[in-house]
Amino acid sequence: MKRHILGLAGASALAIGLQTGAALAQDCSVNVGTLYPTSVDWGRPIAETALWVGEMINEAGGVDGCDVNMILRDDQNDGRVGVDAARSLVDIDQVQLLIGTVSSGITIPILTSVTAPAGVMQMSCCSSSTRLTEIAASGEARGLWFRTFATADVQAAVAAMLARDAGIESITVVYKNDDWGQDIGRMAAAAFEAVGIEVHASIALNDAQPSYRAEATQALRDQPGALYLALYPTEGISFVREWLGLGGTSVMIGANSLRSDDFRTTVGLANLGDFVGTDTSSPRVPSAEAFVDAYAAHFGSAPSGPGLSNSFDAAAIALLAYHAAGRDATGAEIAAQVPRVTDPDGEAIPATVEGFARAMEVLSEGGSVSYQGATGAVTFDANGNVSAPAVSWVFDDSGMAEQRYISLEEVSGFMASIN
Amino acid sequence: MIGVVSYLTFFLTMAGIMAIITLGLNLQWGYTGLFNGGVVAFFGAGAYGTMILGGPAEPGQFGGFGLPYLVALGGGILLAAALAWVVGLLTLRLRHDYLAISTFGVAVALESLARNSQWLTGGARGMRGFPRPFEAVIESNFLFGVVFLLIVLAVLALVWWGIERLVHSPFGRALRAIREDETAARALGKSPARLRLWSLVIGAAIMGAGGGLYVSYTAFVSPQDLLPILTFQIWAMLIVGGAGNNRGAVLGAVLIWGAWTLSGFALTRLVPDSMQLDAGSIQYILIGTLIVSMLLWRPEGLLPERISNTRNTTATKAAPTSNKE
Repeated sequence: MKRHILGLAGASALAIGLQTGAALAQDCSVNVGTLYPTSVDWGRPIAETALWVGEMINEAGGVDGCDVNMILRDDQNDGRVGVDAARSLVDIDQVQLLIGTVSSGITIPILTSVTAPAGVMQMSCCSSSTRLTEIAASGEARGLWFRTFATADVQAAVAAMLARDAGIESITVVYKNDDWGQDIGRMAAAAFEAVGIEVHASIALNDAQPSYRAEATQALRDQPGALYLALYPTEGISFVREWLGLGGTSVMIGANSLRSDDFRTTVGLANLGDFVGTDTSSPRVPSAEAFVDAYAAHFGSAPSGPGLSNSFDAAAIALLAYHAAGRDATGAEIAAQVPRVTDPDGEAIPATVEGFARAMEVLSEGGSVSYQGATGAVTFDANGNVSAPAVSWVFDDSGMAEQRYISLEEVSGFMASIN
Repeated sequence: MIGVVSYLTFFLTMAGIMAIITLGLNLQWGYTGLFNGGVVAFFGAGAYGTMILGGPAEPGQFGGFGLPYLVALGGGILLAAALAWVVGLLTLRLRHDYLAISTFGVAVALESLARNSQWLTGGARGMRGFPRPFEAVIESNFLFGVVFLLIVLAVLALVWWGIERLVHSPFGRALRAIREDETAARALGKSPARLRLWSLVIGAAIMGAGGGLYVSYTAFVSPQDLLPILTFQIWAMLIVGGAGNNRGAVLGAVLIWGAWTLSGFALTRLVPDSMQLDAGSIQYILIGTLIVSMLLWRPEGLLPERISNTRNTTATKAAPTSNKE
């Protein structure tokens, strides 16, 4: 027994030794922690996208001349495992920047017990909980927290705007029963009522049920004029098929999480003629199209899962800020440079290798840039939340197409009018 | 170097919390033969109880009493014990797999309750802002980790000592008698129903202490912490370590938690860059293989139960006949 343990310790010591040896061979390298649920189907492409940004940054010259070493860990979508992985990245790999993770139930304990106490900057692509805003506002996050996921209130408000403009009189809200779904479901119901649309019911869908017939029947009872869907593709497909099968209306408004080829092909384009989705990305910006093209060129298919463009921007903004702060920067110093990367008055920078190289040049000279990312030209507020313009989209033969662009001013104005 | 020490401190803290929960399960399964399939429910009751009593006030939500740490932790433990008492009264007449299924159901119901009772638990958003003990007076993040580890080890030692005392007392022997042959125990004048209930309640209180400690480290709890994976992890720890042996339970907790987390760390070192994305899945395969191999080659666990000699050696003669049934 003892011999086995010693052998194991020897092997891992050797592994660590090899790692250090490899690092010394290069001029210098910067460790960046990346924590995503890579063993979960939808988590893997999110992680893949983040790693790709690391490659692009290295191609553009690396962070302050140093190669970025993106150390990827799997959080297994389990809070205890995620906290442990974050802890090991911060303690052993000595990262000053942690990118991740998706589920708020994991992101929050990492922020409150690992990154913020250790002074490490944390940037997430996809954590949506409003608790994170509270934590940032209370000062507990020490200004180290950012996310590129537009909080649910923008999407909820835009859904109400679309419903009002489409002349919908009554609606039933169907939401995924998790932190994101509860938040957006509640905000959407409030927004619909604020513009005078009757909300019949708010129905929660629990994960991984074989059928949602009971919920579909319940929704049908009120004969709503439309459905609002804050669902992920898996339960979205299952629910919408039951719903249409029972003869429910095909007028549906969906959140950006349904922006998936799976949903389009499985439900069937013929059934989605009256479907309109909301999102916060702004395909008007050339860089967003550039992202789609570049993604397709790199991975061989268009980005279609949730969170991919957010993951791209989270990694890109964080790494550019790291560059601006210098290779020896602490988490707080990196966080302090984020406004210089997202400065609306700075030089516009596309999300390409050339763009990154140009951005690094400007940042090194002390200037500021306006990063034009896959989700548009994002800026962060004091709580690390992104404010972004919105867009409505529909399904078509080729995939998904933008229908209407709603500028940042229009969104803010509308949100102020209903609150 | 300090980083490695800091991580090890954290690792031992988590492993210690897991070991506490495993000791609770060892009392229930190892010594009494209760198949508790809802470990996470009692962990969750302890975590939420501690958070509600000791956390900060939140608009529109019950709780946030901001009570002193020990009171909050004690309340969490009591809540777990109370839950076990109710569950025990309802289900303890069930045996083995039936008990496992019903306790599993309780755990799922509790998760659903936490997810949906926004006024009580904050719903899926969870509850935040628990004041971590001593954090206000300790400047250094590293020192806080050490102090917290000491707290966990102290609780672990206390639980260990308590269970050892318990199982070597007449009460403990009665528990094992029930585990081996309930009819015989009843014939000797023991009350299996009462003893089983006690074992379930005490074990659950210990699991609740694990939950309370966990929430006071992360300062946050959400329904995501109540997923059945924890029940599975704790069972794996007990089976690998050795049911009916406290040393085995603690060893199993450290080994399985180590395999679960350090394998991820090792894979980032050993797997080539091109396969980094698959490391998470490889990790699952490794963990599964480890548990299955243990079950195949050492089903009694690394440190199996050792029945200590009772003073009355003639009693062992009677044992074989009562075992046959």
